[in-house]
Amino acid sequence: MNHSYAVMTSVLAQVGSTTPLDGITLAHYLFVACAMFAIGLVGFLTRRNLIIMFLCTDLMFQAAGVAFIAFSRYWLNHTGETFTIVLITVAAAEAAMALALVVLLFRKKESLDAEEWTELKG
Amino acid sequence: MGDRLDLIVNPFILFALVALGAIGVCLALPRRGVNPQIVGAILAGTAAGILILLLGARSIHEHVQIPNLFFYVFSVAAIASALRMVTHPRPVYAALYFILTILSTSGIFLILSAEFIAFALIIVYAGAILITYLFVIMLASQSGREGIESGLVEYDTQSREPVAATIAAFTVLAALLALSFRGVKELPAPPSATVAAVVIEELPGKVKRSLVNASLMTESEEIAFSGEGKDRRAQIDISAGTIKVTGSKGERTITRDQWSKQVEETLVVQNAEGLGVSLLKDHPGIIEIAGVLLLMAMLGAVVLSRKQVELDEEAKQNQARRLHEEVAKL
Repeated sequence: MNHSYAVMTSVLAQVGSTTPLDGITLAHYLFVACAMFAIGLVGFLTRRNLIIMFLCTDLMFQAAGVAFIAFSRYWLNHTGETFTIVLITVAAAEAAMALALVVLLFRKKESLDAEEWTELKG
Repeated sequence: MGDRLDLIVNPFILFALVALGAIGVCLALPRRGVNPQIVGAILAGTAAGILILLLGARSIHEHVQIPNLFFYVFSVAAIASALRMVTHPRPVYAALYFILTILSTSGIFLILSAEFIAFALIIVYAGAILITYLFVIMLASQSGREGIESGLVEYDTQSREPVAATIAAFTVLAALLALSFRGVKELPAPPSATVAAVVIEELPGKVKRSLVNASLMTESEEIAFSGEGKDRRAQIDISAGTIKVTGSKGERTITRDQWSKQVEETLVVQNAEGLGVSLLKDHPGIIEIAGVLLLMAMLGAVVLSRKQVELDEEAKQNQARRLHEEVAKL
């Protein structure tokens, strides 16, 4: 009983704590970032739906953001966070352009299939 | 345990798990015919789970009874929903799973004490970008048309070159993970209030507010400034513990022994304030670049998605005549 209470309080103490989590190293965060990046890359290469391809690039942006924030926290400055703001801006601009392009392409071929546009290879 | 962990996971186990994850992801991708998606999902999940368990087991200290749950919960949610997003055949569900990924990563950002970015991410990404995606998915969707059963089209249910793509992506992953064998360090403790003094000296408004709240100065008084133009700076010296204040009765100095502990605590720089100072003082060009980028994206989107309206000659002449009459009337 006493033990489980101690466990619970130690979990709850993690909420809102400004100290770094015990035993979680920079590598842990980078593992997560790398895994997300790899999954995004798989998605971008394999999916044929144009919209999902762009979603996957956004997933890769996210992974880069996690790495940036982790490095920013590691070096105790705000440069990484500043760059993450640029990243969000670029993602927003990319989404606007990409979706405009997707709508344009959809109007031309009535399909979202990326394979329809293989003639663009030249 | 020193501050440098030699190896976080045995390299052979790590690369075996990466390979297992690659097989799982490859099987989980949508394909024609027999669909082993569940097997693949289980395999990929097992690989990720074992890796995370190993990471957790490695990081348990003697004095900590349990690993830090929040990191593991958020990272498992982020990776699992990213995986489901990539493998889900329906675009709308993929977008919704991506929102789940965004929420989990903003949880990770909160753990890393980057509150501003975490909430900006939710507002901008989950609130704005993903809704735009959903609109376009619904506008450009082919489901519900004749000849398409179950609302799924062929290019959503079949992936392109799943084996080659998975091998490529997981080779990149293995290369990235190999970097961690150079040794890893724990995150440093956050700086104390005195270390952040450089930033607080740039924020006279905040200092004034906390001093007014502590009744050390009145609302009509101001923090004193010295220098002109570029050299103009507030006369706040946290390390020496003096703040100069000017008012109608002239200048006076508030010293550290007049502050209480509470005032000291309100002078700590918050995440958003530090980020703002970093953005405006160290990297002011970023804001300009971001502004130009967003403007260009807006123009580009308008130009690209505009519909060409073909007016025939007769309609144009009618329009011109009508305009001419309107002008003549005036």
